Amino acid sequence: MLMPRKVKHRKTHRGRTKGTAKGATSVSHGQYGIQAVEPGWITARQIEAARIAMTRHIKRGGKVWINVFPDKPVTQKPAETRMGSGKGNPERWVAVVRPGRVLFELSYPDDAIARAALNRAIQKLPIKAKIITREESF
Amino acid sequence: MSDATLTAESGRQTGTSASRRARHDRQLPGVVYGAGKDSIAITVDKKDFRLAMSTEAGINAVIDLQVDGGSDQVIVREVQRHPVRRDVIHVDFMRIDPTRPIELDVPLHLVGEAKKVTVNGGMTEQRLNRIRVRAAADRIPGKIEVDISEMTLERSLLVKDLNLPEGLVCLTSPQLAVVTAELTRAAVVARRAGDTEES
Repeated sequence: MLMPRKVKHRKTHRGRTKGTAKGATSVSHGQYGIQAVEPGWITARQIEAARIAMTRHIKRGGKVWINVFPDKPVTQKPAETRMGSGKGNPERWVAVVRPGRVLFELSYPDDAIARAALNRAIQKLPIKAKIITREESF
Repeated sequence: MSDATLTAESGRQTGTSASRRARHDRQLPGVVYGAGKDSIAITVDKKDFRLAMSTEAGINAVIDLQVDGGSDQVIVREVQRHPVRRDVIHVDFMRIDPTRPIELDVPLHLVGEAKKVTVNGGMTEQRLNRIRVRAAADRIPGKIEVDISEMTLERSLLVKDLNLPEGLVCLTSPQLAVVTAELTRAAVVARRAGDTEES
């Protein structure tokens, strides 16, 4: 699973997710992409699940790009613990996603199979997302 | 010579809220610049702009832009889109001199099926989606078609292999790969399994 090799601070604030994505809002590597429609946190497990769903459907043909990286640690206190005694332990890594961000890109010659693969990947994500293509209409 | 005609209104108010109001009234904020003249903030009708971009020349259409009684030959230099809705929110027009060649990007479209690649368990991948060319205004193509039907697994299709229309000078490096052909990972695994069985 994706995670940073080392970080400056082990625990971070949650932050706010306002506005739309500032960059990576169009397809830049492949022919198709999955674009976030709403903000959210995507965990490393979800990214991996989406990648596997996509690559299995295209039967290891094609090429997949992952455009987000889970670089934010999320802490959690153990179950049945009294409040206090400081912040919990880092449990998982998430990528902060704003609307418009292209999360994955795919290059595959067959349009129908590519779209089916992307739809399977979208099912693994905790946010609403849509499929976009490199060529956009006016 | 121009592919389409557009009428624009100058003297629009600039800024976020004024632009937002213009978009609400089905107008598209934009700017015209180039050819040594001053830049002008304009608005064009969204529907007319869409029609102008729907010609065979595509985004590289030479447009006859009529502003305040005058007329300029322009091309679309940049289009800004909303990050989520993907609709056009701003457009840059650049004035061109019809007598001088201009530099711009032309999209590459793959045509045909690389049967020699797919039969051998391979797959093609488009590495380059557009190339930079220099051409006279009346010779700008909307797209360049790249025939991949003769591709094999051994050789990639490079920029120098492209059949460019007459009057076009390619400014992209000739050694860059446009389309590559390689074995899929499934085919590689199958071949390895076959090799181990034989040995």
